[in-house]
Amino acid sequence: MNLIVNGEAYEAKQHESVTALIEEMGIGGRPVVVVLNDEVIPVSSRSTCGLREGDRVELFRLVGGG
Amino acid sequence: MERQGNVLDEWIVGGHRFSSRLLMGTGKYQDAETMVGAVLASGAQIVTVALRRVGRIPREDDMLGPLGELKGVTLMPNTSGARNASEAIRAARLGRELCGSPFVKVEIHPNPHHLMPDPIETFEAAKVLAAEGFLVMPYMPADPVLAKRLEDVGCASLMPLGSAIGSGRGLATAEMLRLILRDARIPVIVDAGLRSPSEAAAALEMGCDAVLVNSAVAASGAPIAMAAAFAQAVTAGRNAHRAGLMPQGGGASLATSPLTAFLSGEAP
Repeated sequence: MNLIVNGEAYEAKQHESVTALIEEMGIGGRPVVVVLNDEVIPVSSRSTCGLREGDRVELFRLVGGG
Repeated sequence: MERQGNVLDEWIVGGHRFSSRLLMGTGKYQDAETMVGAVLASGAQIVTVALRRVGRIPREDDMLGPLGELKGVTLMPNTSGARNASEAIRAARLGRELCGSPFVKVEIHPNPHHLMPDPIETFEAAKVLAAEGFLVMPYMPADPVLAKRLEDVGCASLMPLGSAIGSGRGLATAEMLRLILRDARIPVIVDAGLRSPSEAAAALEMGCDAVLVNSAVAASGAPIAMAAAFAQAVTAGRNAHRAGLMPQGGGASLATSPLTAFLSGEAP
């Protein structure tokens, strides 16, 4: 399935849920904020939140900063 | 102006009590272990972090893990990277989602050459975020008029710069800080530009409620030791402020020992 992840085209093999996508990307288990088509997907909803062709996904995490 | 007077000398921001008056940033560290060690050595209870997009997270670079486990530490996401109010507001909402904390440092500096905060975008973002219930801590130019405007729209504190981020030029804005301190009814936290613990002590002596340091510790020769030194300096400065510095003046009348010559004065 073709998605746009963090602004770039991404071909997802796992797309039945947001959880599956982030596992595929190697981020599973790490604290991230997921934004799907401009909507924040809370942790509790990720395993049941499906993805569709062309969906825009953004992922954010904490980094060091002043 | 004395805003807090209790025995423990805690300060209150956004309804939350803190005993440490040293806030720490987490940028520029060589590694997470040094960063966590410095935060612990500093005794900081409010620690800033930033948000970035992610593709893959290398195991060693997991910030939230070690920091999130420290007891008594409140994470405060900043909105660095935002070029305007709209981006800062978005970053704040994402930060709250990730940190679970109502605190947000509104940080909008579109020009990478000087990193000066945009006063207009900062004000606009602060207004919206305060109305949404965030505890807004605005990184701002040391401008007393802006300070009053930010207080009036509901910011939880003021975070005027001492000098440009990372510049190590200390309390270049001292005179402006005094003007801000005169009228502020919310905590004043000097943020940016400090280089030495003595500058942090000077800020607290002057009456500031707290200071935030990042480069001064992270880029020092030994960050963990420097963090501890800053903690000592902040305590010293605060204690001095509470004790009240001696009156300024000069001249022979203020000598602390009798002015008669040592050997020719009368015997007691």
